[in-house]
Amino acid sequence: MAVSSPSPHKSRRKPKRAVNTTSKLNSDSTAQTVTRAPSFPLAAFLWPARGGSVSQWELLPLILMAVGLFRWAAGLWGYSGFEKPPLFGDYEAQRHWMEITTQLPVSQWYFHDLQWWGLDYPPLTAYHSWLCGTIGSLIDPSWFALFSSRGSHDPTLKIFMRATVVISEYLVYIPAVVIFVRRFSRLSGVTAWSASVALVAILMQPATILVDHVHFQYNTVMLGFVVASMSSMLAGRNLWAAVFFVAALGFKQMALYYAFSVFAYLLGSCVFPRINIPRLMAIAAVTAVSFVALVLPIVLGTLQDVRRGIDSRPDIDGPRLPLPLFQGLADYMDTEAVYYPVVEQLVQMVHRIFPFARGLFEDKVANFWCALNVVVKINKYPAELLQRAALLATLASIIPPNLILFFRPRKHLLPFAFASTAWGFFLFSYQVHEKSVLLPLAPMTLLLAGSQGLNKNTRAWVGFANILGCWTMFPLLQRVDLVMPYMVLTLLWAYLLGLPPTSLSAYFQEGSSNWVQWATFFIHGAFYLAMGFWHVLVMFLPPPPDKPDLWVVVNVGVGAAGFSLCYLWCLGRLVAESEIVPRSWFGKKRKAKTQ
Amino acid sequence: MAEIHPSLAQCAVVAAALKILLFPAYKSTDFEVHRNWLAITHSLPLWEWYYDTTSEWTLDYPPFFAYFEWIMSQVAKLADPAMLRVYNVEYDSWQTIYFQRFTVIVTELLLLYALQMFVDSSHGASKRAAQAAAISILLSPGLLIIDHIHFQYNGCMYGLLILSLVLAREKSTLLLSGLVFAALLCMKHIYLYLAPAYFVFLLRAYCLAPKSIFRVQFLNCVKLGSGIAAIAATAFGPFALKGQIPQILSRLFPFSRGLCHAYWAPNVWAMYSFVDRVLIVLAPRIGLSVRSGALQSVTRGLVGDTSFAVLPDVTPRACFALTLLFQAIPLVKLFAQPTPDNFIGAVTLCGYASFLFGWHVHEKAVLLVIVPFSLIALKDRRYLGAFRPLAVAGHVSLFPLLFTPAEFPIKTVYTVFWLVLFLMAFGRLAPASSRARFFLFDRFSTLYITVSIPLIVYCSLVHGIVFGKSYEFLPLMFTSSYSAIGVVGSWVGFMVVYFTS
Repeated sequence: MAVSSPSPHKSRRKPKRAVNTTSKLNSDSTAQTVTRAPSFPLAAFLWPARGGSVSQWELLPLILMAVGLFRWAAGLWGYSGFEKPPLFGDYEAQRHWMEITTQLPVSQWYFHDLQWWGLDYPPLTAYHSWLCGTIGSLIDPSWFALFSSRGSHDPTLKIFMRATVVISEYLVYIPAVVIFVRRFSRLSGVTAWSASVALVAILMQPATILVDHVHFQYNTVMLGFVVASMSSMLAGRNLWAAVFFVAALGFKQMALYYAFSVFAYLLGSCVFPRINIPRLMAIAAVTAVSFVALVLPIVLGTLQDVRRGIDSRPDIDGPRLPLPLFQGLADYMDTEAVYYPVVEQLVQMVHRIFPFARGLFEDKVANFWCALNVVVKINKYPAELLQRAALLATLASIIPPNLILFFRPRKHLLPFAFASTAWGFFLFSYQVHEKSVLLPLAPMTLLLAGSQGLNKNTRAWVGFANILGCWTMFPLLQRVDLVMPYMVLTLLWAYLLGLPPTSLSAYFQEGSSNWVQWATFFIHGAFYLAMGFWHVLVMFLPPPPDKPDLWVVVNVGVGAAGFSLCYLWCLGRLVAESEIVPRSWFGKKRKAKTQ
Repeated sequence: MAEIHPSLAQCAVVAAALKILLFPAYKSTDFEVHRNWLAITHSLPLWEWYYDTTSEWTLDYPPFFAYFEWIMSQVAKLADPAMLRVYNVEYDSWQTIYFQRFTVIVTELLLLYALQMFVDSSHGASKRAAQAAAISILLSPGLLIIDHIHFQYNGCMYGLLILSLVLAREKSTLLLSGLVFAALLCMKHIYLYLAPAYFVFLLRAYCLAPKSIFRVQFLNCVKLGSGIAAIAATAFGPFALKGQIPQILSRLFPFSRGLCHAYWAPNVWAMYSFVDRVLIVLAPRIGLSVRSGALQSVTRGLVGDTSFAVLPDVTPRACFALTLLFQAIPLVKLFAQPTPDNFIGAVTLCGYASFLFGWHVHEKAVLLVIVPFSLIALKDRRYLGAFRPLAVAGHVSLFPLLFTPAEFPIKTVYTVFWLVLFLMAFGRLAPASSRARFFLFDRFSTLYITVSIPLIVYCSLVHGIVFGKSYEFLPLMFTSSYSAIGVVGSWVGFMVVYFTS
């Protein structure tokens, strides 16, 4: 750009931009994050696009192509359950759902052979599976043939499945994130260039790529709807926010982690600054209609199946089985009525989606309960007590952020509130899976696009949460030989954002109070050292024979401690940014919370 | 001058991450070729290297490459000793894959080093352009497709070539430049195609006095001659002692192959073959005779003597003569004005001539043109105008190397990404020329680049849907004919630029 000297020939480029280029080169100070040199490698990569010389429409396709390449290349590696009979893994579950939704009548979807990856996600996942299965059957019907396709590891099927993840992500998550980043950065007064840097950082987030494109799942569809919902809130379109959030819930029940924040924000926006009953009614109505639309295909399909005489449970002869949940309902209803199969279907769906009967946790997860289990064997307490304790702890952790969001329904607080609520759920609720860490990570990573998002403090914390999140998934990934993509994607992201272990540049910055920096540095440093040391241990030292899970337990303990700090940081920032407490008081409080 | 961002090292780190992620990708038989060479050089005595025929992939690179494999085999035995057994044909344990793929990434550091030298040797306004050109080579889709997926060690060797070209920019390092090139020749003999330019340049700029071509600088001649002799002796000496030179030469130059490779490299002969194919249909109407023997080989590549049905056959001698002729033309100017830029231009044109007219040219050889051309493509807009169709055609012509569906998104998206990024960046960085640009040449190249989009879509999607597995030669023929037009067009364009600047 510097050498675009006056040309004797007429350039085909619009002259306006050429002028723009040279003027911008001399006025670097206009942008807040534009300094003399990029402070981390990702900024260096986008450096030539600084100062408005490259339009968004030139940059965006390049970004989308680059992040897509990394996704597809990571997908060349194995997936969960690859050649691991008898049950295989998440990949088989998703494939199996494509099989049952395309091969069976609608009313049997939630009843079919529950022992083999029975469908336990909400209807939108079922419809998505049906769509993917229908397209896949056009290519090769044997991929989704009933029963005979179980455990298939046809390499072409793998390519098809990988492509469905990538395409679903490019249709939902990526547009949502692009729009969110644009709105959020404008709202926070961040330059378009910084927003692009943040966009790449968000899209290269290693945890999402590892879980969806390597280990295999469709979390980005759910996350995409959540981001779309947040994005609609930013645009002031609360009705759309409700619709998108219902879609997220309808795709994966895990979106409930955010439900309190969505509720608190939408309700808050109807109460403050003045009570707005019509708005509240509209939101309620739209939400109800969305839910009806969500289950409508299942309801209509069930009714049609009843008319055609198709039983939802052809494997069971004799009288109808009682409802799996809410058995009292049957007392008020005629089990021979036309609507009864629909009720049965919906109850079965809820029963499949929310497995209340399971324990507090199944596998080792870096949440509070698993970590506590190391100290006190909590499984000896009755399950009901534990469920109640989990409920209380969860409520205690999520009420503060949501109260703040309710009283201060401001747009720029959304990622903080969403992240702290999701952290609360992740740490204290029951039935948590290690992959659920994606939920708090997603809104927290979106902070990079906000005000001061790329500055050191936010970058250090967002980076810390992400790297710790990936690290807690290491045992999961190692079980299916995915150490290499884990290493590459995590280290690449750390490198791009100038984080440990590749760089310490995210910790020291002029013009910020010194002891906060040092405290952050020491706390994070201790965790990074622990993570590195743990990797060395796992690599070279087998755990003692009487404690085969020792390394995983250490991982869980460190992870839970780190995530608790992330929760506190998000909450502290939320308190500070909401200005809900007096300024003088919050100055102290912020320091106490944010180091 | 301030640092230019991003730096080459930063690009190399991110590219390395992508390359490691590509470890499980498709690998061609070249992977087994190189595993076999590791095994041969490690477990057989030196004098059996060029005689072993356990695997069909016999050693057919010059001795320096064999030594290179021997050095790597010393590390390989730490990774998995089983890969070093000659009889372990088609062995590909994951340790072997990790090791071999890693060696490609590590040896490519030589390219990084050479490119950094290239950037450091540029000054002032052209430094930014040099950095962009260097990054474009480092991230070249050609190298990604050929080295990191298909599997070869071109990155390292093009590093040597660039090193030699950079050394040729300074009077004081001319000797070193010649010696590096000589070593490169002893590693892979395909670079012989570029040797005429080196010969002429070193003769004029190093061996003859700057003022007069009739005064020979004897000391320089002795230095250069003895240096090259020493390198050749190191490479071929041990084998010469055993009288193995004829055997090595028969391995290096197998003359029994046909004019075109199974898939036509996008050169003049691809156009010639295409015209021949069209004439088979038209011949009865315009009264030409069709040789029935040639019709058998219509769908396959052209191997054997009677491969053209209508047009006259082409002999190796004719190819050789044409190559030399078109190499000689730019060399005349190089001899008259031996500037470093003319030298790189002449190297590029030697690459063009041998790629376009050579016998049994492989499509991978297009890098012989693209890499040196990249170094001068940003000189001004006229150079860039000639470079653009080459960048598109050269890389699109590599697509058939990878035919597996899993790699399809990688090769296309990566190439499109590279083309968009660098053609955009080059367009902003290249200064305007002091001379008028060609009438319509830019329009032609824009039209040409646009055509590539429906072509790729047809070849990769539409053809498969419409015809299934039949007429498989059609997409290949279209790709190579299309690419041939681009390469020939850019050659003509660059010839004019070279002679008029």
